[in-house]
Amino acid sequence: MNFGSRAYEGVREFLAETGEMVILTGKTILSALKPPYPYGGEFVQQFLFALKLCWFPLMVATVAFGYGAPGLQAAQVTSLFGTVDRLGGFFVLASIREFAPFVTAIVTAGVAGTAITADLGARKIRDELDALAVLGVDAIKNLVVPRFLALILITGLFNVYALMLGVSGGVVATVVFHEPLGPFWATFFNNASVADLWGSLIKTTIFGAIISIICCYKGMSAKGGAEGVGRAVNEAVVMALITVFAFNYVFTQTLLATHPEITQFR
Amino acid sequence: MGIARIRFKFEEWLDAFGRLVKFSGEIVRGVYFGRVITFFGEALRQSGVLIIGSAVVLWTMMFFIGLQCGIEGAYLNRALGSPAYAGLFTAWCDLREVAPYAFGWMMSAKVGTGIVAELGSMRINDEIDALEVMGIDSVLFLGATRLLAAWMVLPFVYIAGIGGSFFASYFAVVQQVADVSSGGYALIFWLFQNPPDLLFSLIKAMFMATGVVLVACYYGYHVTGGPVGVGVATAKSMVANIAIVHLVAMMGTVVFWGTNPRAPIGG
Repeated sequence: MNFGSRAYEGVREFLAETGEMVILTGKTILSALKPPYPYGGEFVQQFLFALKLCWFPLMVATVAFGYGAPGLQAAQVTSLFGTVDRLGGFFVLASIREFAPFVTAIVTAGVAGTAITADLGARKIRDELDALAVLGVDAIKNLVVPRFLALILITGLFNVYALMLGVSGGVVATVVFHEPLGPFWATFFNNASVADLWGSLIKTTIFGAIISIICCYKGMSAKGGAEGVGRAVNEAVVMALITVFAFNYVFTQTLLATHPEITQFR
Repeated sequence: MGIARIRFKFEEWLDAFGRLVKFSGEIVRGVYFGRVITFFGEALRQSGVLIIGSAVVLWTMMFFIGLQCGIEGAYLNRALGSPAYAGLFTAWCDLREVAPYAFGWMMSAKVGTGIVAELGSMRINDEIDALEVMGIDSVLFLGATRLLAAWMVLPFVYIAGIGGSFFASYFAVVQQVADVSSGGYALIFWLFQNPPDLLFSLIKAMFMATGVVLVACYYGYHVTGGPVGVGVATAKSMVANIAIVHLVAMMGTVVFWGTNPRAPIGG
């Protein structure tokens, strides 16, 4: 097969997959809204499962990121100018607007998303999904919807937790530079705005939706025996990360361009 | 959850960590003492797999991160009233911090889980036992060749990815937000970095890559429990890799730039 037709096949497959995911998203939302609502128990179970898996990696990731990247590096620039107190204002940008949402997305995709794909993929290759269909159980309503809702809720909540821990990384960096914490909090709360927080929360809930749909889709379309589940997990996490970052760019750009007041330094 | 259970969990975790370190030691020794040269052909094949299968994905991720650094830098410096200095933010964001993170994340997502899935399915299809029966050192053949391939190929992939993120930042700052001219941006951008920074960044990224490959080999090599086990091990390896990537990145920042900002400001 020459390069042209291979590229054509690849693009076609990609487009077909994207279309199927969009259809799955629509079906999931419709099925979540339409009665009956049998997914309550599964929703709680999935929520607790994701919480149990994610809390520790999230803590390590956000504190490390907050201390290293925005904390130390920005503290160095500001200490050259003798204005380390400005770090608080910088953390509004760094933590709330940027890295708390995307570190949350990375951890949720990498930990909870992979677990979802592995779980659904295993059910698929053991023909359990077909068995459910034969029994007349709607797989989307009973399996996808609870995971979708659980991830949406949990990424939103994790975001709050991530930005608190991220700011605590900044606090550690301030202490390391022998600066008082009062000015840090003063500039932080001067610069923090409600639009920033809402933007951050909406962004992460949409991340959760993206991750859950991609991971459920990849799990439910796993094929090819033992290797298939592993490959499904691999593809799911890669696709989830790329999509999340592409979306993040568009969202942040729109937010910054449409809300000039949040880009003011006070 | 009682104390006994916490203690049990902790001991279990410590035990797994010890095994991981021992297994990693075996692989690194295989590469370091050159025993892997026996399977150099396999290492070359793995390098090819890395280049064809993973390089584009890694670059895509680093490109998006570059765009992200660009718009944040542009808007931050506009707010500070110094739009010409967007280059300071993007130079540090791309080179020192966030591009290595993007590389680490994508390494664990694409290369790490790929290795776990591949080795795991070999394990449950009894292919690894078959290798042992044929008298081939399976840790050397499967683990050390992958590590050698990563060491041979990834520095170049990483530097190309850094180039991609530089371009993306330039695109976002100069072409998209357009507060600063191309020449003014380039002046500040290149002023705030020098070759040692690139070397430090590369070292940081390679430590991440090494950690990811070793963890992935460990989880893949020790899969149990049939097809389901492969999926579970793949998911578990991501947990360990996320923790490793973040800790390595933080330690790298502390070691390389912790006491010396390496910025051309003041004395």
